[in-house]
Amino acid sequence: MLINYIRFIISTKYSLLLRGTGCVVLALFLCSCGANLPLQNKTLQEDKDLSATKYSIIFFIHGDGNYAYHDNNGNELNADEVTLENAIKVAEQNPNAEVFIFHQKPRMHFLFFFPLRDGEFYYYRNGKLIANETYWRDKEISNFDLEAEVYNSLKVNNNQKMINVFLYFGHEIPEYGGTDYDESYPDRAFTVHDLASVMKLFANNFSKFDLTVLSTCYGGTPFTIGKLGRFSKTIVASPDNLHLSYFDFHLMARLDINLQDGDVPAFAKRFAQKAFNKLTNDVQTTVSVVVYDVDRVQNYLHSINKVYDQTLNYLKEETQISMTKIEHCDCADIPAYKLPEMNEGIEVFFRSARFGRLKNKQKHSGWECWKYESLNEQPKN
Amino acid sequence: MKTQIAILSMFLIFVLAAPSNVYAQSQLQNYFSDIATKVKATENPVEKRQILNDSFLNMSKALDKIQNSGLISENDRMDFLHLKITLQENQNELAGLNGYERVSDTQLNNFSNYVVQSMEQADQTITISLIAAILILILIVLIV
Repeated sequence: MLINYIRFIISTKYSLLLRGTGCVVLALFLCSCGANLPLQNKTLQEDKDLSATKYSIIFFIHGDGNYAYHDNNGNELNADEVTLENAIKVAEQNPNAEVFIFHQKPRMHFLFFFPLRDGEFYYYRNGKLIANETYWRDKEISNFDLEAEVYNSLKVNNNQKMINVFLYFGHEIPEYGGTDYDESYPDRAFTVHDLASVMKLFANNFSKFDLTVLSTCYGGTPFTIGKLGRFSKTIVASPDNLHLSYFDFHLMARLDINLQDGDVPAFAKRFAQKAFNKLTNDVQTTVSVVVYDVDRVQNYLHSINKVYDQTLNYLKEETQISMTKIEHCDCADIPAYKLPEMNEGIEVFFRSARFGRLKNKQKHSGWECWKYESLNEQPKN
Repeated sequence: MKTQIAILSMFLIFVLAAPSNVYAQSQLQNYFSDIATKVKATENPVEKRQILNDSFLNMSKALDKIQNSGLISENDRMDFLHLKITLQENQNELAGLNGYERVSDTQLNNFSNYVVQSMEQADQTITISLIAAILILILIVLIV
């Protein structure tokens, strides 16, 4: 009798344990397969003070790759996490701005089987958190419809002329190819063309951003500035390498003070100067920050457009057979690009790396190009 | 403490199944960051120079051994080549060889930072696989 009773207790316990585990697994499975809704209204807060909003800022933070770096004390940091933290501070400290933050995270699985959401967005309005949700970005092609839908559904429309700013933080955005950009989705391509498409989606209502900040390596190429310039009036980018500690953007906080006069080009120069000062103080590698006045650089871009396109087309073909040594270089090093108008419409802040082959380089033209050397032929540009 | 951190990292990788190449790359960066910390903690410039030189040599030897073992993929082979060239350039600059101006004694701390920071650029990254990175780190321990 006693043995039967113990057996009953044990079987009941195991049964409960099994059922409990089953429920947890099922719940996790259902969570991981949840509807791909851009906004679930879970965290949506009411805010009726729309007339106070004068600035609209979008942060796009790519974190799906190796973004680890070390500060000078040897502490390991993650570029995307540090940027997210600072973006949230900017959002909280801006009493007259709406701030969208999209954080693209690595795809992770709980216990190898249950995928976790790999995108997260935050929406702040006039310093207050209005929405914060996770979402799926596991699509076969780079497609930002979901982010654009969120943006358009929340964006303030108060009939005032707003100042619109777009900031991108990530690794160098390829001008062609573009696979392997996302560590979690190596087959999916992401290129400058895709980023321009994102900006087009977001700039739907106002045609051009007042300011775009491209915090990546090699952002200041004629191709990239040409493509992104279709959707932005002023661009701040790094034509050379950029350390993962990125551009300092504390000046984005308190835009009601720092951009009180509404003079975006002047603000962009102050932003670039501050970012340059911070980087030159912190890193030994190359520092280059350039402000591009998109209208004024068009003359130069038109002059070199054909030759740059020819180079890109050649590189697209040559990389297929891996017989070409391809490198970035200052456009001023290639005669075809060294034209009198190359200095028009740009403000360059440059300091060479403290060590390495180019440590004595005194200045940068502000434009980065490609040089390549075929292993079978004479060097070409 | 380091063992505990390593075990915890492995546990998190298992539980959360994070992309492994990211972890691999940051382990190599950590190796050079630890070297930079050692250099800065040392007073004597001769010793600083020795620490840096040994780190380049050990890493190069480990890369050679793994390349010759045939255990790595073609992608890893290309990344190894890139890494080896960089190490050789750093070694040359430290010693003032091959057209480089020798790094002065007062600049050795900054040079150790430069070595780490030049691996931490927002360019298109080297994606050494987890297996290759683990092999490198094991071999460095054995060589030392």
